[in-house]
Amino acid sequence: MATVDVGIRAHRVFGRSRLARNLALAALVAVLAFLTAYPMAMLVYGSLHTTPPGEAGTFSLDGYRAMLSRANALVLLNTIGLSLVKTGLSMALALFLAWIVARTDTPYRESLEVMITLPFYIPPILTAMAWGMLATPKGGLLNLAWTGLTGQREPLINIYSYGGVVWHMMQYSTPFLFLLMVGAFKSMDPALEESSRMSGASAWTTFRRVTLGLMLPVTTSAFILSFIRGVESFESALIFGTPAGIEVITTEIYHLIHHVNRPDYPQATALALGIMVLMFGLVVWQWRLLGGRSFFTVTGKGYTPRVSRLGRWRWVTFGFCILFFVVTVVLPVGQLVIGSFFKFFGFYRVSMLTLDHYQAVWQNRLVWRALGNTLLLGLLGATATMMLGGLVAYVLVRTRFGIRPVLEILAWLPWMMPGMVLGVGFLWAYALLPGPIQLYGTLWALLVAYVTLGTPLAVRTMSGAFAQLAYDLEECSRVHGAAWWTTFRRILLALAWPSFAVGFILIFFVILRELSASILLYSVGNEVLAVVVMRMWTEGKAGQVSVIALVMLGLVFLFRFAERRLVRTHLGRS
Amino acid sequence: MLTRRTLLRLAAVATVSAGRPALAQAPADAEWKKLVEAAKKEGKVVVYNGAVGTPALPKVGAAFEAKYGIRFELLEARASELRERIRTEQAAGKVLGDVSHNGSTTTALQLAEGTFQPYGALPNAARPVAPFKADGTRVPIYVIPYGILVNTDMVKPGEEPKSWKDVLEPRWKGKILSDDMRALGGGAVFFMVTMQHFGQGFHEKLAEQQPHMNRDLRGNYPRIARGEYPLYLPLTLPDILELKGLPVKAIKPVEGAPYVRFDGALFKGAPHPNAGRLLLDFFLSDEGQLAYGNLGFVTTVGGLESKISPEARAVAQTSLLGTTDPKLQDEMLKLAKQIYK
Repeated sequence: MATVDVGIRAHRVFGRSRLARNLALAALVAVLAFLTAYPMAMLVYGSLHTTPPGEAGTFSLDGYRAMLSRANALVLLNTIGLSLVKTGLSMALALFLAWIVARTDTPYRESLEVMITLPFYIPPILTAMAWGMLATPKGGLLNLAWTGLTGQREPLINIYSYGGVVWHMMQYSTPFLFLLMVGAFKSMDPALEESSRMSGASAWTTFRRVTLGLMLPVTTSAFILSFIRGVESFESALIFGTPAGIEVITTEIYHLIHHVNRPDYPQATALALGIMVLMFGLVVWQWRLLGGRSFFTVTGKGYTPRVSRLGRWRWVTFGFCILFFVVTVVLPVGQLVIGSFFKFFGFYRVSMLTLDHYQAVWQNRLVWRALGNTLLLGLLGATATMMLGGLVAYVLVRTRFGIRPVLEILAWLPWMMPGMVLGVGFLWAYALLPGPIQLYGTLWALLVAYVTLGTPLAVRTMSGAFAQLAYDLEECSRVHGAAWWTTFRRILLALAWPSFAVGFILIFFVILRELSASILLYSVGNEVLAVVVMRMWTEGKAGQVSVIALVMLGLVFLFRFAERRLVRTHLGRS
Repeated sequence: MLTRRTLLRLAAVATVSAGRPALAQAPADAEWKKLVEAAKKEGKVVVYNGAVGTPALPKVGAAFEAKYGIRFELLEARASELRERIRTEQAAGKVLGDVSHNGSTTTALQLAEGTFQPYGALPNAARPVAPFKADGTRVPIYVIPYGILVNTDMVKPGEEPKSWKDVLEPRWKGKILSDDMRALGGGAVFFMVTMQHFGQGFHEKLAEQQPHMNRDLRGNYPRIARGEYPLYLPLTLPDILELKGLPVKAIKPVEGAPYVRFDGALFKGAPHPNAGRLLLDFFLSDEGQLAYGNLGFVTTVGGLESKISPEARAVAQTSLLGTTDPKLQDEMLKLAKQIYK
């Protein structure tokens, strides 16, 4: 958490009166506590009780004792290793791509920005299917091409390996990190870098000590978010790791819940909570790293975002971005597009050409109902989450209230818990909610769960953005008589708009793809797209799933281009 | 534990078209009419289905709706997820589901946990033929038999494995794709049943064949068809009907098919109990059974063979080797993990 020399004076935050301020803070804490601490408390109970909530049993530490085994320790080391490798590689790649798009004169930057982020929006099960076909050692298309070109019978790539798991995880983490960082790169006043160059520093020194230095809140937040996501990653490990004997914490938890006669919730929740405690160590590291330093890159002085001129090298950077796009999007999505026109996935014979998959999806009322539910939940959820995240981020970054550590911890909690365990926490929390409030079984249960899941991302995104804004901007607005809410809305949010928009889209598509909580909370009539896709996948309807994935990609294009227009308009005004 | 001889005898009975139905209590006509009226007043029935994506259940639902005008609603999730949902709903007193449609192992475990209520007198409860029987709380709906899938381009007719033990031949080493036997599902069913019938030695030798195991059930069929591996086990035999046009073939080993039974039961606290009972009865009607039979599943009610398509009948007519024992499930999963490291 970034602390600064002088925070906004307390009596001006949320309103003029102390009562208004205290009530607002209490409400913020209460909302976060309900969203995050309440389901977590259910999970803590589950880890300390022989039976799940609502069932007679006794308190016991058996779950924690079972957790502390040599086998689990080895799996944990494996998990951390995989995530570190994945995050390190993705971070380097994402930083380079963000610099190219935001700070250079590489041609077609706006289109490249959209293209680079596309892999994030493709459901992991589909990219796994596509990469399975491309890189399986026996008959994968890339290996067949290698054999054809070189005559070598030994396969070049084996996707069912440690490298395969890392590679698949990178498909999502690289665009994810790129999205988190590109907005901050754009918002930086180039005068800071120019000062460095004028003082004699080389381009590389300037990039390392000024650019990256000022981006520290954003890059460290992004690193932590991505690393934790890597620790909790599931599909990549299950599909490409398990067949190769590579187990991670989430596949262990999955086994404990879904592949034993009686789900072992004590050990599963104990494992998940243990991971959460370890991940908090990372958050504390970030607090120490950023504490007491200033990261203002947007001040009251106006600036025009300027780019570095690369000369002929701009075509090299352009080519690099295109290569990234071809490898991470064209190859797997090409498989999806082709697969959607053939009766069986991977069988490209003229006799098997068909439009049946498109027709089946078009005629499937459940798909359209689920899409409608998901779009509604996505729009409402992303809006609510970003507003909540913005408010929390403001208190964390721009005030000195003593309540900040509590808010920070509450805001981080959901991100550190594997989705399949958190989903169980939501089920227990909402179904066992006392009193007349009927949340379970309604669409609102899904909305509340999605807001909870998205809050850490929203807070991280907005914290990074707010840390870059100098206080003189707020003070100016106040001096001219604007109330706190007006200043928040028209100055802070406006200046942080690129990050707000990115956070909105990220959370929207996280909601679109979310399955672990949805499968336990949805009810008939409230189906969401991820559940319908899971059902189709289990039925073997890969062709129809491909069609839906292409529909989702179409939505992505619409959203991203709309977002680019809005950001350009806002940046132009500000 | 059923001996092999007893099982073969029972399997022979199961494949005979007309069996002697087990004794069960049928309701009086007037009582049944009252139940049907009450069910119609309830207006809907919600089914929690653990066989995600099964195409039969929506067909059963459509036929049920057409016959009674009662809305059929389906909620699907994995067996373990459904089990936790209904447990939590019952603990909270907010039960949303009426009927369970799930594997017999999960149903047996839930029965022991007190999840269900007796369904009372049903007209069709007496129809299942031995070894299947409605026991007052559970109705046996259908059976999934398992076999072997072979790639016909890679495996010529004379070279196909004819028995389960043929997969132990050296020529199949490194060439077997398998559903993960260390996880719940078809792989675990295959493991437990063949362990019981062929002994641990069978699996120790099978482990030496280095089968490539994963949990991507539906993704494995195209891999066999594409020629990545020549053999896959265990194949859900009815799935062969969906693979027409691909160079694959289903093999029914001579020893018989390990199988899993799917049961229906009424949840305690069900919000639409009469509609639930009506549906349980409908599962055992001709329309209900034929929805499964025409997809290649083994029906639990006899005498319907002439009404099932020849193609589906050919798949379903198989001798049954045996099924899982819920009490031994955890022990078997541990053993599978030890053997298949």
